[in-house]
Amino acid sequence: MKPFALAALLLTSAVAHAHQPVMDMAPRWDGGYGFQTRVERFDDVTTTWLEGVYTWDRSVRATFKLPYHDGDLGDLVLGVPLKRYFNQGAKTGNWSFTPQVQLPTGEDGEWDAGASFSYSTETSSFYQLYDLYTWGDRTGLDVNLGLAFPGRGSGLYTLWDVSLLASDEGDRVQTGPVFVYFRKNVIFRAEYKHLVYERNSDWDGGFVNVGLGFVF
Amino acid sequence: MSYLFKIVAFASALASFPAHAENYVVDVNGIVCQFCSLGVAKKVSKLPFVDRSQFNNGVLVEAEEQKVVFAVKPGATMDRQALFAAIEDGGYDPIEVYELLPDGERRAWSP
Repeated sequence: MKPFALAALLLTSAVAHAHQPVMDMAPRWDGGYGFQTRVERFDDVTTTWLEGVYTWDRSVRATFKLPYHDGDLGDLVLGVPLKRYFNQGAKTGNWSFTPQVQLPTGEDGEWDAGASFSYSTETSSFYQLYDLYTWGDRTGLDVNLGLAFPGRGSGLYTLWDVSLLASDEGDRVQTGPVFVYFRKNVIFRAEYKHLVYERNSDWDGGFVNVGLGFVF
Repeated sequence: MSYLFKIVAFASALASFPAHAENYVVDVNGIVCQFCSLGVAKKVSKLPFVDRSQFNNGVLVEAEEQKVVFAVKPGATMDRQALFAAIEDGGYDPIEVYELLPDGERRAWSP
């Protein structure tokens, strides 16, 4: 893999690491599991992710994330989201701490580790997520805020995302819309984030992410 | 005599008619989204007393009102403890369960 492509992959990985593994919303039931594939593009680099989750009970999950880029598999990321849910009438939410480790499974792979701390709540009409994470020299904050439109057996979320990243490679702020649609056990997510601020880097363009997931 | 025959025949027909499943409703804290609550539907539908021929495998999640409706097999007894455990395994916190009358009204449930 070319050095530039590797560096770009690491930077896009920082975005991927930021979010709660696979899906914040589900599966929150004992013995639940799910898979998701995502394609993301940032700074002229396209990466495909295969992600999976298993839920022992609502407070403990295990996750994996495997990137694929330019014909090569990247480094596998394993995580253990520890969640504390609260259910209050027409509102639900959770606090979450997620330690993660990166295994050197890819070409030029390397060990790494990180963690995130997040808080999310939702009602039948509103959703919010705040995710503070650190990974190597990178520290970031992701915020998702928006409206939910529930249907019978399906639903739509229209959210706005703000992502802040500070790292040795540079700092940036990206923001843009997120659309999430689910029907039964299938969830689709599409987002675009525009680079509105960058410092000490030559990043360019927007971030695009499209994913399809299944939970059982 | 003719009236007596008709009454007996009517009673006999009623007795042979299959009994309707009983419906129950349980209020659940935090259910606001169908996708997030898939586990509740899954766990409740697997309970042995649930009539899977009704609703969606026996269960109807009404996320807008934080309630779950389920059908119980004719002649079966609803097990409140198992029901609450299933909902908790599904990721949510049950409040109380009621019998659901045909007119949509609730009636306090007692074993």
